Amino acid sequence: MANKSKPKPKPSQHSVYLYIPNIIGYIRILLNCYAFAICFSSKRLFSALYFLSFVCDAVDGWCARKFNQSSTFGAVLDMVTDRISTACLLVILSQVYRPSLVFLSLLALDIASHWLQMYSSFLAGKASHKDVKDSSNWLFRLYYGNRMFMGYCCVACEVLYIALFLISKNHTEDLMDVVVTTLKEGSPLSILVGISLFGCSIKQVINIIQMKTAADACVLYDTEKKQKP
Amino acid sequence: MANKSKPKPKPSQLSVYLYIPNIIGYIRILLNCYAFAICFSSKRLFSALYFLSFVCDAVDGWCARKFNQASTFGAVLDMVTDRISTACLLVILSQVYRPSLVFLSLLALDIASHWLQMYSSFLVGKASHKDVKDSSNWLFKLYYGNRMFMGYCCVACEVLYTALFLISKNHTEDFMDVVVTTLKVGSPLSVLVGVSLFGCSIKQIINIIQMKTAADACVLYDTEKKQKLMTRHPDFSRFKKSSMHPNHIACLLMPSQQVGVDQEYQTCGSMAEMC
Repeated sequence: MANKSKPKPKPSQHSVYLYIPNIIGYIRILLNCYAFAICFSSKRLFSALYFLSFVCDAVDGWCARKFNQSSTFGAVLDMVTDRISTACLLVILSQVYRPSLVFLSLLALDIASHWLQMYSSFLAGKASHKDVKDSSNWLFRLYYGNRMFMGYCCVACEVLYIALFLISKNHTEDLMDVVVTTLKEGSPLSILVGISLFGCSIKQVINIIQMKTAADACVLYDTEKKQKP
Repeated sequence: MANKSKPKPKPSQLSVYLYIPNIIGYIRILLNCYAFAICFSSKRLFSALYFLSFVCDAVDGWCARKFNQASTFGAVLDMVTDRISTACLLVILSQVYRPSLVFLSLLALDIASHWLQMYSSFLVGKASHKDVKDSSNWLFKLYYGNRMFMGYCCVACEVLYTALFLISKNHTEDFMDVVVTTLKVGSPLSVLVGVSLFGCSIKQIINIIQMKTAADACVLYDTEKKQKLMTRHPDFSRFKKSSMHPNHIACLLMPSQQVGVDQEYQTCGSMAEMC
């Protein structure tokens, strides 16, 4: 039944590295490297580049679907770039604001929740860590059931962090002072900070719930394994 | 055939959270939280607590084997605590030393290499990311073939970071200055910093190679999946099973799912046993 007149070309391993979405991924990495190299000398350029990298994140997903070039490597590249860029932004915020423990904690929560969630997704065999259908928590269901709400919370975090960085004037800002002052102003910036602060808080609560759910999944996995003959 | 007179007790989910190695894991987390809270006010206490947490890391592995209380949750708890404590230490080093880009890069490399390696281990179904037998790179084979060498490189990183933090006097140290001055002094500290600097450098090179290897594994996974789907023959008996793990077929038949449950069942069984 094999048609010998038209031999199928062997897919080359090189081609995945040259997929369009993955090339956009490399551009994202370069944008981030340059952005963090100049972040203290030019805050506005940093913010623009960081935002551009965020836009590329959406574009490469669209390209993957449009050109049918989805790949596991691309998904991992995306995930890792997201984690590292958020981590580095939290690091520079911890340098600018006191107490830095706030941003250390946010960094710890970001790493822990994403790591646990990914691990438990692999164990449970879910298609994506974003496909959580079996949780009883109402906030969890709202977050994962409604992609707009999820998108709002994720974007809110990034917007808040960038805004905090842009607002800061020197290297020893008191975080509570700055936030309260900004909110009291009543300017468009106040509204932006207020809305993104709300979304970011929701995201952190989700992160904590996610850690508990993922930990339960790990425990359940072991329990079921022991019960099977 | 079932013996009804002695029913098996259902293992409680609660009990895994109360396993001794996991309780040690919680203690590690509390130690780290307190350590980082006081790190600038008392560097020596911070270093002692950080070192103590590192010792607990070894102790909980030993306890897991001794009390037969290895668990997937415990392995993940360990891994996440390691990653976060190293990340936070790199953050405070980036506050103390200039240029902070050095420590931002080390942080990025640590996150990227461990994440990629874990992901590719799941895809390929290896027992543990520490079991790499098929790499052709000599340094890679030396690192993973020799547990003492691996241990030296990992410990060297933590020792170097902690030493750098202890040495620093104020918040605007020039990184190269401090390292070169310390090495030139010729004291026991110089030897310690020199030896750990060497080990830490090896570890970073390994991290970079690991990222490339893991990326290749992700690409190979997709390539094999596509080839199998393209060449799958309706007459299943002609499909070569001998070269493939039976569970691998299950995950290949579900293209939307990146990993098959059964395949990972085996993976994580041995992973948990190795903690």
